[in-house]
Amino acid sequence: MFCAQCGSKSIDGARFCGVCGAMVASPAPPPAAAALPAPAPAPPAATHHAARCSWCGTPLDPAAASCPGCGATMSEMGVSTRSGWLQLPGRKDMAKLQFGQSACQIEGIYVPVADFKLAPGDSVYFAHHVLLWKDSDLAIATMPLAGAWKRLFAGMPLIMTQAAGPGHIAFSRDAPGELIAVPIHPGQSVDVREHLFLVATGNVVYDWFQTGVWFSTKNGDETETHYPVGAFMDRFSGTQQPGLLLLHAAGNVFVRTLAPGETMLVKPTALIFKDPPVQMHLHFEHPQTGFTSWGSWSNRYLWLRVVGPGRVAVQSSFEHLHGEASYMQGHSYATEVRW
Amino acid sequence: MSTPVTEPFERLQCQWCQSLNEKSALACRTCGAPLDIRNLVSESGWREAPRIRDMTEIHFSNSTCQVEGEIVPVAEINLSPGDAIFFEHHVMLWKDESVPLTLMALSGGFKRAFAGMPFLISVATGPGRIAFSRDATGELVVLPLHPGMEVDVREHAFLLSSHQIQYSFVRIKGLANILFGGQGMYMDRFVTAGSPGLLILHGYGNVFERVLKPGESIMLEPGAFLYKDSSVTMDVEFQKLGAGFFGGATMSLARMTGPGRVGIQSMYVHHKTE
Repeated sequence: MFCAQCGSKSIDGARFCGVCGAMVASPAPPPAAAALPAPAPAPPAATHHAARCSWCGTPLDPAAASCPGCGATMSEMGVSTRSGWLQLPGRKDMAKLQFGQSACQIEGIYVPVADFKLAPGDSVYFAHHVLLWKDSDLAIATMPLAGAWKRLFAGMPLIMTQAAGPGHIAFSRDAPGELIAVPIHPGQSVDVREHLFLVATGNVVYDWFQTGVWFSTKNGDETETHYPVGAFMDRFSGTQQPGLLLLHAAGNVFVRTLAPGETMLVKPTALIFKDPPVQMHLHFEHPQTGFTSWGSWSNRYLWLRVVGPGRVAVQSSFEHLHGEASYMQGHSYATEVRW
Repeated sequence: MSTPVTEPFERLQCQWCQSLNEKSALACRTCGAPLDIRNLVSESGWREAPRIRDMTEIHFSNSTCQVEGEIVPVAEINLSPGDAIFFEHHVMLWKDESVPLTLMALSGGFKRAFAGMPFLISVATGPGRIAFSRDATGELVVLPLHPGMEVDVREHAFLLSSHQIQYSFVRIKGLANILFGGQGMYMDRFVTAGSPGLLILHGYGNVFERVLKPGESIMLEPGAFLYKDSSVTMDVEFQKLGAGFFGGATMSLARMTGPGRVGIQSMYVHHKTE
């Protein structure tokens, strides 16, 4: 008997895996799996079709061990914190995602690799520094981007590279973290903070927009403008066919869905993605101190305030926000609380 | 007459290093690979390096090595009298006071520097304990080195090697410009002579290996290269990426051609393309 999570051999009859602690599938699943081939098109299957992946919403086959859209392990779905953050469900090493005639296998746990098997006619595009390896005869070419000069100015990746099937090509980032699979359903869009994009399938439309979230600091005669969530954000939209978007996040990943008008304060550099209806702006908090007459600008907390409706995803490890503690000269629209 | 037939059934062969283990063993005595876990091989043919369980003990010569921790693993060596290991000094984590350190005499008189410091190989001689780790999340890779094998390793990726293994280094000409601004890139070369030895590497992120057939080739991000059999050739190829208006960018990929093993790390060392 092998553990469904880590693959190690466990003692027959044990309830938990001795290596990773996961609950070992007890007598229940084997009969279910055995019964699967026969009644697959039968009515009972239809009722199970209501089940959807807690992370990406892909309809689930009740007999499968993982979600075909994002690779999440069935037993780890729907794990939420008491405050309502849904954790990115765990994924078994070597989990396989299906899109069109092509597939993507996610390999490794510290710095996972996205290994694509592209069918003829299918393609992916990526920022060119994330390519790990490819078949020697798989062709890659640049993708023309409109308005590329804006991107150059902002110091973002200027060149998107495209690879077309048939063949194998694999991607990873140069930092530990999670690989997030975001299936893009027809008509759906997702806004992603810059530099988190790894790879997307050719049927996902790529665009970007200005965030409009900034503040400027002054140090002597020097003024500097800072963009807490980047000057630009990437927007990925679905077309007629479902697409797949892969992002790389540092640390662990959590998502929550905000109701219309519901707000949340998040660390700006922790934001991974949001649904387009979610609005965002700066928010300052000033703790109560005896010295409110001076230094009030440096004695503050800087937040990103997100307003629903829609999803917001954050990562547990984040970069330092430059200029956070400096004297602030101006800023984009912000709300403020003085305690 | 019947005894040779039953003999193989009493032993369990490690699929990573091919050494034989007792049937009841949970981890390979020689390389630490778990023996009760299936191999993880991707559909594209990469085999994940075995994930060595916390506190697994590995045996070499008369000494042992215990692998501790999982995210940034430590290799703790308990050297017997007469055994020795060599390493680069920046990977040392701690040691017993009494373990003597000497410098290995490197032949050829090459000028090689590491981050502005002279490149030195240190030797620790038993008896005593000494432990090693590297500065990033990753995996320890215990390479199966049998007599007669030659392995080339990305520079600074080797953690330690037992004294039975012969060490040298080779300069890679093609990679010089893109990787280190003309200073040259070296590969460490390990050759096993008479008896098998222990070679431990540290790969950033996750480590994968594949065996290339004669003439078969694969394109790698140069920063992902970790190790190869010396029979595998490495050639850098440049690919011009369009965007003519800005002059475009050049992408460099390493073409690895078989026969032999190739090991890669998923958290590659990032190099600027400029």
